[in-house]
Amino acid sequence: MMKDVIVIGGGAGGLAAAIEIHQAGKDVLLIEREEFLGGILNQCIHNGFGLEVFKEEYTGPEYANQFIDVFLQEKIDYLLDTTVIGLKKEGHIFTVETSNESQGIEFYQTQTVVVSTGSYERTRGQISIPGDRPYGVITAGSAQRYLNTDGLLVGKKVFILGSGDIGLIMARRMKLEGAEVLGVAEIMPHSNGLNRNIVQCLNDFDIPLYLSHTVTEIIADDHQRLSKIKVSKVDESFRVIKGSEKVFEVDTLLLSIGLIPDVTILDDLGVEIDKRTKSVKVNQAYETNIEGLFVCGNALQVHDLVDNVTLESKRAGQAVVRYLNKDKVKENHTLSLNPGTNLAYITPQRLDMGLEQENISLSFRSRKKMEKAVCKIYQNSQLIFEKKLFFVLPAEMETIQLPFKTIQDQGDLKVELEVKS
Amino acid sequence: MYDFIIIGAGVIGSSVARELSKYQAKTLCLEKENDVANVQSLANSAIIHAGHNPEPGSLKAILSIRGNLLYDDWEKDLHIPLLRTGAFVVAHNKEEESKLEDILETSRKNKVPNYEILSGDQARKIEPNLAKSITKVLSLPSTKVTYPWEVAFACMENAIDNGVEFQKNKLVTNISVIDGGFEIEVNHKEKYRTKNVINAAGVDSSNLGAFIEEPPFQIKPRKGEYFVLDKRVEGFMKHVIYPLPSDKGKGVLITPQVHGNILLGPSSEYIDDLHKAKTTDEGLAYIKKHSTALAENIPFHMIIRSFAGIRSTSTYDDFYIKESSENKGFYYLGGIESPGLTAAPAIGPYLVNEVIKVKNNYHPKADFNPYRSQRLEFHRLPWQEKKKLLDEDPLYGRIICKCEKITEKEIIDAIHGPLGSHSIKGIKKRVRAGAGLCQGGYCEEKIMKIIARELDISPLDLEYDDLKSKLFKEETKVKK
Repeated sequence: MMKDVIVIGGGAGGLAAAIEIHQAGKDVLLIEREEFLGGILNQCIHNGFGLEVFKEEYTGPEYANQFIDVFLQEKIDYLLDTTVIGLKKEGHIFTVETSNESQGIEFYQTQTVVVSTGSYERTRGQISIPGDRPYGVITAGSAQRYLNTDGLLVGKKVFILGSGDIGLIMARRMKLEGAEVLGVAEIMPHSNGLNRNIVQCLNDFDIPLYLSHTVTEIIADDHQRLSKIKVSKVDESFRVIKGSEKVFEVDTLLLSIGLIPDVTILDDLGVEIDKRTKSVKVNQAYETNIEGLFVCGNALQVHDLVDNVTLESKRAGQAVVRYLNKDKVKENHTLSLNPGTNLAYITPQRLDMGLEQENISLSFRSRKKMEKAVCKIYQNSQLIFEKKLFFVLPAEMETIQLPFKTIQDQGDLKVELEVKS
Repeated sequence: MYDFIIIGAGVIGSSVARELSKYQAKTLCLEKENDVANVQSLANSAIIHAGHNPEPGSLKAILSIRGNLLYDDWEKDLHIPLLRTGAFVVAHNKEEESKLEDILETSRKNKVPNYEILSGDQARKIEPNLAKSITKVLSLPSTKVTYPWEVAFACMENAIDNGVEFQKNKLVTNISVIDGGFEIEVNHKEKYRTKNVINAAGVDSSNLGAFIEEPPFQIKPRKGEYFVLDKRVEGFMKHVIYPLPSDKGKGVLITPQVHGNILLGPSSEYIDDLHKAKTTDEGLAYIKKHSTALAENIPFHMIIRSFAGIRSTSTYDDFYIKESSENKGFYYLGGIESPGLTAAPAIGPYLVNEVIKVKNNYHPKADFNPYRSQRLEFHRLPWQEKKKLLDEDPLYGRIICKCEKITEKEIIDAIHGPLGSHSIKGIKKRVRAGAGLCQGGYCEEKIMKIIARELDISPLDLEYDDLKSKLFKEETKVKK
């Protein structure tokens, strides 16, 4: 079966990209692993979604439904409860191998693939928290799914490691369900969540936030259930300060220690990887070094707001349409876009000079909290663009528009954050 | 009255159970845990050593050499997975090279097959990621890696198939000597009578002996900590890499695993608590420090898990496989630390044939079935076989664990199989659902629903591991 475009992942990113591409008259198939569309939004029953895109405040499922309704009206082809188990490219053709209960294993062919597979949660194993290995140490998103989708409470005495937004939201959610939430520890000297979540989820419920603290030991009871954790203060180099240890008696430790783009599906394709984003490198059209392979949403970089996933994925959808229409003006060459001083990462990592457009959206995070910050872009040692950002935080992704005409034809670009003097 | 009661269903107890199932004897195996292979057999390096280490002439040497060879039979008969990795013992300087000569001598005396010395450069041609500082290696081609959980499952399933009874969640709380045998009290209430007791209780083996006599050894447990690297590192190292052994054991190794992962470790430390091995900052730092002497650019960023395993080291300096001198019919399998997994296929026959001399009292079963069917790993099958199975059961098409590509049918089979499990950990041990990159983040909820559906139980009754380890505290929604 041949399709113009196959979109892998039916969450916020995949839906927005698929709609954009289908509305341009292209033949799209969307493949979703869960039994429903909308992805992680379905378990995010709190509000605060849509302020950017709709100027309204929706819950997660409401936000998802805005797109699911359009998606269904458009009569876009889709498969639910279907896992992509292989992705290969021969010549110009991708083969997508799928597995599900109704069709067994199928092969779909396409010239274009959009990967919007979201992110997975960093686990205890990846940060090597020492101690016993009991049950009750669980990622915040998993606990959220159990609670909001299945109506199952994983614990009654809870501590949370990491002040990422899911952790903060779950602190409030568990409290509202009658669990005791003893605190949130954050290894950084600042919170990693949105400020509004600190206020609404912690302060309003008198849940203490321990900055520059981390969990240093996990202790089980005799039946492999978590019974205690040790929490210690850390210095500027994240070394544990001896004697600062506090013990909390808890049955559950929720981990909100970061999301990692899930691009394991691309393992066999030899896609160029960016160690900073832990995902693939793309150009301003969200295309990887493999022609016809596009990546957007949390699979490309972890966003703080779903609105930004939507906007990015719409842009990716438009770029796919331009690609299918062979809308390229001249022989392409690429410039690389590198993060400089104070930048944790930047996307896109490459500019394709054959893709003329008015503005290029650049997304990045700062390495530290900065007031009166200015984003400066240099090419061939010359300042070609600057923008005042005022207040930047590692917890909040910044997106700026770089006018294409300011870019010179040759020479890599470097993006830096400086404090305005 | 039973003829034999085996206490403990780790790799060793399971091997003994299978060996006894060849005879016309009434045999029961009792396990205190909610699954086989749940303590020492749960967490180790998974290596089938070549036999280069143990003192020549010791039981450790004799049985590990025999065991290594017998794994080839077990692979055929019981479908135990084997990875024929071979191993390199590495030296970094003249002093270490002379120690390597000692190991070479031990290997010669123990009749390790096909060992040879390679220069550092020769070894690096075979293993390009080997540390540049390595000057010489002892190559041990007969070294293999297995999957210890599957070893215990296979032996116990085959033993059950041949008539052995197996009961889990049975903690032995007392043993008394009675006329013509022993009475074993379980969970402080039920009692079982038997002519013979086989004490394969690992770290608890000396405590178990103490119910009836002064045990001939004491267990001084050690623990070993490990890192697990994601299976996407497969190929980084194809051989097991050993440093030179020290008084702390075999040292920190790099060990490729049968499913593509790589293990780094173990550390080695004596501990006080027989039942608790935990990871520590110091232990994990020790592994990182020492593994870097073995290889260049170890992909530490691919670490997905760390764990600690217990070793039942004893005060006796060899395996203690003997009948009690005071209480005839009471057999010890004590101090079975490394190379216990290696020796496992030989320990069963050694105990049964050479120590118990079972043939003197029991006839072999004419209908003994030595074969155990293979656990199906759907994603590894060739296309035609997949197609055929999908026609038989469409649930082979529904992927539950995305990281390890495990299907719903495989999970259902793990629940209802001959040695089925109803716990999240038990399912993971059988089919690897949750053993991958996301560590169950994606699939645990789906697995829990499948278990609840298959057993028709409330999610509140679901277990993580033992019967009291409930996954959930309460339901928040009122049922319609």
